[in-house]
Amino acid sequence: MSLRGHHKVTTAVVQTARLLVVRFGKQWSALPSQGVRGVLTPQEAGRAGRVTFVGVTYEDVDLAGRLGTTLDTSNPDMRVVLYSNGQTHGAVRVEEVIGMIEVERAECRPLPSHFQKEERTWISGTTGYRDHLVLILSPEWVLGELGEVVGSGVSPHAVSVS
Amino acid sequence: MLRTSRQQDQAVSAKRSWNVVVFSVGGKKLAARTEDVGGVSPWIDPVPVPSRTPFVGAMLKREKDVMPVYDLATRLSRELEGDPFLCLVARHVDGPLAICIDGVIPSLHNVDVAHIVPSKRLDLETLGTFTDEGQEIDIVALQRLGRSRQDHLRS
Repeated sequence: MSLRGHHKVTTAVVQTARLLVVRFGKQWSALPSQGVRGVLTPQEAGRAGRVTFVGVTYEDVDLAGRLGTTLDTSNPDMRVVLYSNGQTHGAVRVEEVIGMIEVERAECRPLPSHFQKEERTWISGTTGYRDHLVLILSPEWVLGELGEVVGSGVSPHAVSVS
Repeated sequence: MLRTSRQQDQAVSAKRSWNVVVFSVGGKKLAARTEDVGGVSPWIDPVPVPSRTPFVGAMLKREKDVMPVYDLATRLSRELEGDPFLCLVARHVDGPLAICIDGVIPSLHNVDVAHIVPSKRLDLETLGTFTDEGQEIDIVALQRLGRSRQDHLRS
């Protein structure tokens, strides 16, 4: 029972996160699903460059380069993810779209505190999917709004960027 | 009274010697206090993580455990030897930390504290150095690895 003129407000706590999981080689990454505007084949989008889709132009985003890995463009599963945060629109070429997943918030962990620099704003956290470690990426970093670019050659065991 | 006396004896004894794990990175022998080591297991491929933190640029997933990787070999400008490599888990103050080491099974040593002297090297966090078979072995301060501080051995 509520007082007249007062509205009952129910606060729903979102317990799950919806993520689009993509793959570059052995590296699995996830993008928050709310920014996904579409997934195209290379035939639909073109092998490289910006993509115009439903009247919106998506600038080419080299996410593989940002992640310090390479994109195998010969992979038949390659897709172009159209991603937007409302201000910036990016076309992200990935080796494979694993799929949209819904994970419990409790299963999303922050980046370990050993990571102390800018990467804390690039990566929101991690989660696990099909026995793989998945990096949850910040949409702003993916879209290049943070002005941060990292380019790292990563060898099997020489894995730091100093 | 007897118990107190025994505890004091144990405390004194504990201070007289350290149990250390001796391992190698690129052929260079290093040591760590056993209580700073969480375990040693086969190395598995890490997942690269874009990072600007020096020597921390990957993570390992082993079943449900996820931990960052510290690239000690690169820090020491060494090439790892003895593939397949091993994974030494450091009990770092920020949480477990995986280090890729040479594929040589580490050994346990008991070192008299009197034989441990402050390390001369300034490029690595150490607790001191001891000599074994004519070879100087630095005791790496795994708990503080990457914190760029050189503490001298406390007496």
